[in-house]
Amino acid sequence: MGKAKKKHRLIDAKKPNLLDEIFPYSMPPTIRLEGPVVEYIDGEPVEFDFGAVKDRPILISDTTFRDGQQARPPYTIEQMVHIYDLLSRLSGPNGVIRQTEFFLYTKNDRETLDRCQALGHTYPECTGWIRAVVGDFRLVKEAGLKETGMLTSCSDYHIFHKLKFRSRKECMDSYCEVVDAAFEAGVRPRCHLEDLTRADIEGFVLPFVDRLMAMSQQVPEEQSVKIRLCDTMGFGISYPGAELPRSIPKLIYKLNRECGVPSDRLEWHGHNDFHKVHSNAATAWLYGCDFINTTLFGFGERTGNPPLEGAIFEYIALKGDLCGIDTLAITELADYMRSIGLPIPDNYPFAGRAFNTTRAGIHAGGLRQDEQIYNIFDTAALLGRPPRVAITDKSGADGVAHWVNEFFGLKGDDRINKIRIHKLARWVIDQYDVEGRLTAISDQELEVKAEEFFPDYWEKYKG
Amino acid sequence: MATVEERVKAITAGVLKLSPDEIKLDDSFTADLGAESVQSIELVAMFEEEFGIEMDEDAALSVQSVGEAIEFITEVCREQGVEIEE
Repeated sequence: MGKAKKKHRLIDAKKPNLLDEIFPYSMPPTIRLEGPVVEYIDGEPVEFDFGAVKDRPILISDTTFRDGQQARPPYTIEQMVHIYDLLSRLSGPNGVIRQTEFFLYTKNDRETLDRCQALGHTYPECTGWIRAVVGDFRLVKEAGLKETGMLTSCSDYHIFHKLKFRSRKECMDSYCEVVDAAFEAGVRPRCHLEDLTRADIEGFVLPFVDRLMAMSQQVPEEQSVKIRLCDTMGFGISYPGAELPRSIPKLIYKLNRECGVPSDRLEWHGHNDFHKVHSNAATAWLYGCDFINTTLFGFGERTGNPPLEGAIFEYIALKGDLCGIDTLAITELADYMRSIGLPIPDNYPFAGRAFNTTRAGIHAGGLRQDEQIYNIFDTAALLGRPPRVAITDKSGADGVAHWVNEFFGLKGDDRINKIRIHKLARWVIDQYDVEGRLTAISDQELEVKAEEFFPDYWEKYKG
Repeated sequence: MATVEERVKAITAGVLKLSPDEIKLDDSFTADLGAESVQSIELVAMFEEEFGIEMDEDAALSVQSVGEAIEFITEVCREQGVEIEE
């Protein structure tokens, strides 16, 4: 301990190495993966090839209208149709957001689904969500859906304490009866293994999935059972060495390689109770789950689900390509969601009002010299959101100069230097030192001062 | 006409709220005279206005002491053809 293992020689340079291949700026930083990853499972080393994710058909599914809506007052039909339309734009022609699921129980649920389908978008495909009740398949059939999710809760908390089954066998038989009803109705069942990360994996989950795989032999491949791994309480752990039932690598290995569920029939559904939600979903992709299930801005039951926009940027980073995704739709979705009352915190990544706003003067100084120093990627091009500076007593003249240049839209040699903004910088400092102000200065206040101190620029660019 | 030194000291005294007599040539604007970030910008802006010159931002802000400022401004005035009393 404490003894150096290797000496590291300075590689001097006269020009910067900005690692453009990893940080291209015009795109989100790429995620480059190397070498096999080893996880010990049942005492044996098992290799996973993370690098394969670049060529695997990984995809995103969405549950904004189901899990996302369970956590809030219902959306109106018009709101859902508009959101669906924007989701389709975001998804792009390759259908990166492949599916979204709908409730089917009320007249409004049904009308929403019909109107979304009437838009004629190929993606996201519409699927349903029902209880594990045989009679509910009538709703799926009537809606003309090919696939539906159904609750097949698998922890003993749910089996015994919630659903009141007398035994695991009775529970499994009941679930399988519903799966049979789905097959008979010509509908593909997607079994949601609710509370998986708190379940007896060897004692119930794997035997149940074995049985589902055997049942799937009776039907065409496109109707075979899909498995949703539901981390209902956010207990999932992404890193190697964690034990079942919380280990995401081990859960996916068991289902994928022991039970033989193909990757394209595995889907991860997480919750954010322990701040792990996005990383856990991305981990599921890497270990062999092709689908990750998300909601817009992570809004969902309690602490929420994997945020869709986070999955989008992870997808682009892993693939090293936009893959037809229209990232600008994220900003449009955020503006729309705010307009209908969904709270998005100001510092929320990619979508919050201040996600790329710096308050520190020293950071503003960096931004003023080169926006790449303190901006994650070209947020103006990909999200329609250039980096901003919020003005406080910590902003300094650099921050004020950056604000002024952004406000007037000045680039290159046209930018106003720090010396020319000294009156506004003085006004800002006096707000705090003389007036005793404790809050940030709003854009509206600064705009009034910009007109006063820079009348020529105001006339030219804002008049 | 006052000399460059007298004019620089007068501006500095005004911005930093000091008496011109307190200001010495080897005083550092920040360490000795207490200029804060915004005051440094104000000083450069006032020097430009006083002498009718335009200074390079980075070069002007890298000037440390009163004496260096006098030399720097004298040089810029010469380059830009502005008459001064040395």
